[in-house]
Amino acid sequence: MTRKWYHIAKAEFFVLTAGMRKHRKAMAGLMFALAAIWAIYLAPLIINTFIQLIIPMETIRTLLMVMFPGLMRTVMLFLWALLLLFPLSFSLQEIKIGQWEIFLSNNVKTRDILTGTFVGKIPMYGLIVMVFAPLLISPFMLAFEVSLLGQAVVYTVIALMVLSTIWLSNFITAMVQARLGDSARGNDIAKALSVVIALIVIVPMYGLMFFMPQLSDILGMNAFLVMPFTWPADLVSWAAITFNGIGLTGSQILGFGAILQLDMLTSALLMAAFGLAFVPIAITAADRVFTISAGVRTETVTTVGRENIFIRGVRRVAKGPFGALTVVSLKDYGRKAQNLSKIFYGVVLAIILPILMQQMSIMDGDVFEVETLLPMITIMIGVVGVFPFAGTGFLESKDQLWIIRSAPKGASRFMRARIATGFMMAVPLSLAPTLAMTFMFGLTPLTAIQIFITSFVVVCGAVMVAMGVTAQNPNYEDTKSSAHQTVLMTSMMLTQFTLIGPLFATIFLDIGLGFNLFGFMESIFGISGFYVVEMLLGPTALLLVGGLMLYLGTRSLGKVEV
Amino acid sequence: MARNGITIRTERLNKSFDTVRAVRNLDLEVMSGSRFGFLGPNGAGKTTTVRILSGLLKQTSGYAEVCGIDVSKDRDDIKAITGLLPETPGLYSKLSAVEFLEFIGALNGRNGDGLHRRIDSLLGILGLEGRQDDLLESYSSGMKQKVLVASTLLHEPKVVFLDEPTSRLDPSASAIVKDLILILAEETDTTFFICTHMTNFAEDVCDVIGILNEGEVITRGAPQDIIEAAGARNLEEAYLNIVGGKVDREVLLAWR
Repeated sequence: MTRKWYHIAKAEFFVLTAGMRKHRKAMAGLMFALAAIWAIYLAPLIINTFIQLIIPMETIRTLLMVMFPGLMRTVMLFLWALLLLFPLSFSLQEIKIGQWEIFLSNNVKTRDILTGTFVGKIPMYGLIVMVFAPLLISPFMLAFEVSLLGQAVVYTVIALMVLSTIWLSNFITAMVQARLGDSARGNDIAKALSVVIALIVIVPMYGLMFFMPQLSDILGMNAFLVMPFTWPADLVSWAAITFNGIGLTGSQILGFGAILQLDMLTSALLMAAFGLAFVPIAITAADRVFTISAGVRTETVTTVGRENIFIRGVRRVAKGPFGALTVVSLKDYGRKAQNLSKIFYGVVLAIILPILMQQMSIMDGDVFEVETLLPMITIMIGVVGVFPFAGTGFLESKDQLWIIRSAPKGASRFMRARIATGFMMAVPLSLAPTLAMTFMFGLTPLTAIQIFITSFVVVCGAVMVAMGVTAQNPNYEDTKSSAHQTVLMTSMMLTQFTLIGPLFATIFLDIGLGFNLFGFMESIFGISGFYVVEMLLGPTALLLVGGLMLYLGTRSLGKVEV
Repeated sequence: MARNGITIRTERLNKSFDTVRAVRNLDLEVMSGSRFGFLGPNGAGKTTTVRILSGLLKQTSGYAEVCGIDVSKDRDDIKAITGLLPETPGLYSKLSAVEFLEFIGALNGRNGDGLHRRIDSLLGILGLEGRQDDLLESYSSGMKQKVLVASTLLHEPKVVFLDEPTSRLDPSASAIVKDLILILAEETDTTFFICTHMTNFAEDVCDVIGILNEGEVITRGAPQDIIEAAGARNLEEAYLNIVGGKVDREVLLAWR
């Protein structure tokens, strides 16, 4: 009798480690060995050295101990969100329901599919946790001088939390995939969801980075006792307190008990009950989850209606083949839920950024003046322009490229239309942060217009960079491919460095050649003129780099294959 | 323009991908207004040849011209007078048939009422008029193939390259495509270069057949001449006699 779940797990593991397939066993072994050394020895050592460098442990110990329960919940919220949503987001990028057909036609039991896909995911996500968890946990282990046994208990709790969360995530993923099905429409919605889910992961990350004390206060409240990430967090807290090496007094332990509310046993029982409850639930529901049927989703036929006023307006303004291509390009881009969710993601990021910067200024005790932060805001808005256009919304397949290339000057006509689409999409992307800032900070109309124009130019430059880079290495909507990652990273880095570039160039000129460019510019343009020129430097450089990328991209897209 | 009535001409055309020689010393002449059938097993080099002739791929060596234009020099001129139906559909899933054809028309520098009349006419001939405003993601593979056929003929090319035009079509749709080719070749002097595995289709439609194997044309002539020369009853039998491909029963059952 073959263990079917084992072979499914093996296939899942092979897929996750496809990048190192030539030396899979050796590489996997090496990575786990390194991760273990990192978790047990290196991470605590580095963290300890780092803390000692900034503030001696004796000084920070009290602070860490006071923040401990709330912070542990914050850390667990982060790990929980990462483990629950990251695999979900990853698997939604490519619906693989077709494989179920193979499993079921080979008489594989549904519980074997669920177990196999779960076990197959453990090594990869286990490795991620082995890398991250020590970084987050070590400061507290050091502050409480937790014994080896205590550390073993802490890491066992984390391991159990990881296993139960991956199991839950695996189950939810299967349900969502079954609901969306193996249809073009389902795939489109799934990809859109994957972006939105990534946003949900990013929010606690921002919280962790910028609002750690506030978040800890919020999560320290009793209302969070019902959240599943609270129980393992509190259990870790109790383990650290119980196995502490700093001689906590009885009253101190009672103080922690008052904050944590639930005792160690109750937290352990709740955590175990939550983890174990989902095993029978998932196995019982497996037969309902792994079903393949041509439901409503595959029969849905979307018929396009009359063109809206905006499209008609574009047709009226841009006549001829260029206008027709732009209109079709707009329709193609705008009808994909994935693209719209990326625009939404960009808009949310663009709104979050000024709020974060305001909070950071307030936390640093500075007076918040939006004008002084404009160069920084434009740099961040560059990311907003890159994200919806790098690697996606371009070409669905290589066959499409053949079709485009088979028309005379097809590639350059196609690129011109795509760029026009991108520029139109840049309007909401730059308008959203402008409006958000205008209302939040009570800006004058003139400042608002200034921010909008700068943002629009930056987003357009970023769009040009993203599309140019994508055209040089199209990934055909495969967001899991290495081409996509390369395109995204290259576009992001190029945009950021181009926007920061002039600033660095000025510093190098000053240090290296003793030439004060800013001083020189100020003497020519005056102080107010200098601010305008300084603010325009980055966006202008970005437009130039974007133009170059577009030229290279168009050439590459239209080239004859060798 | 075609010289001496020859639309497509290749001389010792070669194409290699690293160590694989996809096309070897290909010598071809296709007459204007003819329907040339390019037959051969999978991986024989048919698609590679079509891509070279339509200006999408650079040959390793040798010479090729279409309507007197050197394919390695004036690629945009070649593209303006040719139409290519690719082997696999590269349609935009979120566009309707009309929108996709408008896109292809605009890529070829056309727009306006003239283009839309042409689109309506082609979709009507191919029996898609009732579904023309539905998104292509909901089309069956046969319907997608029909849209691609329409996109190939949209800009009224002088030479049409069809790579497996009927592989996804049902018999009645195949018959429509067959008639479309015959009528266009006869009425508009359009030259058709058809890569196919369907020997019946090739026998019915093509006036000249070239059989390609391992990158070389091993037989060339009218279908009836090839059938007679191979001592076969039809083109399929002649093809199998020439290229091989009969199943060895003993080998097939040896694993049991």
